[in-house]
Amino acid sequence: MENDNTIGYVVGGSLKENLNVRLTVSPQAVQEGSFVVIDSGDWRFYGLVTDLVLGATDPRFADEQSERRLPPRLAGLLHGQTLYTNLEVLPALMLERGPDPADPRYPAWRMAHTEDPRPIPIKTVPSHHAPVRRAEAGDVAEIFGDPNKKGNFIIGYTREQLLPVCLDLDKFVQRSSGIFGATGTGKSFLTRIILAGLIQHDRASVLIFDMHNEYGPDDTASDTNQRIPGLKSKFHSKVQLVGLGRDTNIRGATPDFHLEIAESDITPADIEMLTRELNLRETTSTTLNALVGEFRDQWFRRFREMKPGATIETEDGKKIPAPDSVEAWANQAGVNVMAALGLHDKLRKVFYLPYIVERPAGDAISEIIHSLEAGRHVVLSFGDHESDLDYLLVTNMLTRQIRERWEQTTNEFRSGKSSREPRPLVIAIEEAHKLLNRELASQTAFSTIAREMRKYYVTLLIIDQRPSQIYDEVMSQLGTRISGWLGDDLDISAVLSGLAGREALRGMLARLQPREEVLLLGWGVPMPIPVKSRRYDERFWQELKGGSESKRSEAQILKELGF
Amino acid sequence: MTAIEIGRLLRASTTACVVGCRVSQANVPAFGGLVRIPLDAAYSIFGLIYDIRIEDDGLVRQLVTADNVPNDVILDNRVNRNVPVEVSVLHVGYEQHGRIFHLLPPRPPLSLDLLYTCRPEESRAFTGAGRFGYFRHILRAADLPVGELLAAHLRLANADHAEQGNHDWASAAVQELITLLRDDYPTLMTVLGALADTEAW
Repeated sequence: MENDNTIGYVVGGSLKENLNVRLTVSPQAVQEGSFVVIDSGDWRFYGLVTDLVLGATDPRFADEQSERRLPPRLAGLLHGQTLYTNLEVLPALMLERGPDPADPRYPAWRMAHTEDPRPIPIKTVPSHHAPVRRAEAGDVAEIFGDPNKKGNFIIGYTREQLLPVCLDLDKFVQRSSGIFGATGTGKSFLTRIILAGLIQHDRASVLIFDMHNEYGPDDTASDTNQRIPGLKSKFHSKVQLVGLGRDTNIRGATPDFHLEIAESDITPADIEMLTRELNLRETTSTTLNALVGEFRDQWFRRFREMKPGATIETEDGKKIPAPDSVEAWANQAGVNVMAALGLHDKLRKVFYLPYIVERPAGDAISEIIHSLEAGRHVVLSFGDHESDLDYLLVTNMLTRQIRERWEQTTNEFRSGKSSREPRPLVIAIEEAHKLLNRELASQTAFSTIAREMRKYYVTLLIIDQRPSQIYDEVMSQLGTRISGWLGDDLDISAVLSGLAGREALRGMLARLQPREEVLLLGWGVPMPIPVKSRRYDERFWQELKGGSESKRSEAQILKELGF
Repeated sequence: MTAIEIGRLLRASTTACVVGCRVSQANVPAFGGLVRIPLDAAYSIFGLIYDIRIEDDGLVRQLVTADNVPNDVILDNRVNRNVPVEVSVLHVGYEQHGRIFHLLPPRPPLSLDLLYTCRPEESRAFTGAGRFGYFRHILRAADLPVGELLAAHLRLANADHAEQGNHDWASAAVQELITLLRDDYPTLMTVLGALADTEAW
């Protein structure tokens, strides 16, 4: 049955090659990425327009400008019959809707289907000439969730009809996720929106490694110079703002507390993870093992205090390494002297980091963990310590301890030793490729979290502009992928890896609007869909915290459903 | 308007027939016009005039070579000629017991059956019945000037429909023609070219 939204009918296609739909309206009336619905028999199919193709029954009709030869009315009739536009539709989901309730077959079908059917991944195709229509509000709500239901967070709106598209936040936090896009595509704003949604929903704690001090304190937009509210100023005590290092000031805001790292907390693994950053040699591991073997958890301080090149003069006037020199320790420990000297030299960058201290003022790491366990959210701002070295070292150290803690809590809960179920935790990391590239991924706690920590209630939200630089194994574990415009083929391939219909989606990703349009993909969304992302403005906050959005949507949805 | 008698049947087959008429009658039929051959009270055959032929005879041959043929002689030859004007008609359907079929007639007309022009209401009834199924008889006749024939027919039939305020018939007819001919680019463009030369567009 056709309705006003009908745009064409099925003329061919397959599960593998997409469906071909003959367009019966002007090609300008439909855009790539349109969410369409196809009713065929007892089934309803949901798909996405991935391409529009101009065609002709005979190429000569297209080649010749017959409007110059024929009167306009005749030419119009000719073009209407011989020139056409076909849509390519990526079928994604199907729903058994059963016969019409007025159909005599309906009672029997209803008896056999006591539960309301749910959309399932596509398994077959609609019949020839099945009518194709634009999705309506009810269709979008059927697939992406009712915006009024708790946990359904409006992340954006469909391109053409601006119908709200929701993200199921409960599902979103069950697996690691990624937000991607070239620089300037609005990743930070989108991340703010999602983080605000997660914090407001309050089903998982969020730890944000805020490398560029964007998320916690208020900020100013680089392009519009408008004030952008931070999560701290909107959620107050629900969000703990932590500054790296003593007396750190974050864009004029005083953090709730400061993070200092005890020298004794630094392990050889933390240093080895900096191999590329510090240009460490293969001998590093041996030297570090010798240091730990001798000095235990004091290795870092003791090694720092050693004096490279210090000598003393023997009674016979011969110069030998001083007892507190690197060389003396190396000789005594049986370590290659040059290797020890080289490592000491390269570790100078770490030795004198101001936030690594012998005795921190407080146990900030434990405080962060306790805050997260207690259901609060933490934004760790790096302040002036914005180098890759700071970021790699701190994020990895902190995450390692968090991982250990959540593993322990989960094991206690599962073994019955504790009745307290661990609080789900989402760790948001910017510039993720620095931590999850091929070289480092196996060494950091992050790759383990991406691969295995779902069962320990910890997932990642990785934010990056070069997804191709992220280790494949990590990318493959991402449940929900939200991507803005990407220009690089490798980045596009990385975002689409492991997804059905990626060839069809590839072009869509490359043709997204450079700003405020994103493609939702992956396990966390029922089907891929491009959306106009929500704007991070006062209205967003009013809707998020004031509930005006839900009232508006409810009225709108009910109206569109015909009630 | 009453139907006008054109002439009587000379020869016929299932697909076409030829009618002979006097010159005075020959002024009436037009190329592309719809005609009717009533066979009995409940059965009529419809056809389209696709050719009007004027054959010569011995007297004409002599007159053609003569000098200064007087006008009254010319007129006499035309009116009282021995050889009839031949009107060729393509069968495009029939009416039986009040129902119109765009099919070939079950049996052809017999010699000396009368042929009439269709009245506008008959034309509207026949061309408006069904979905232009009679076009296939025209398009199948490869040796006919299909484009010209269709253009002439559509112009005449459209006038009949327009008389009753139906201005969509011609568009629907052309759409059907395009559908039937869209895989035959040369023929379709010939037909559309001929149609473009009529005032209907």
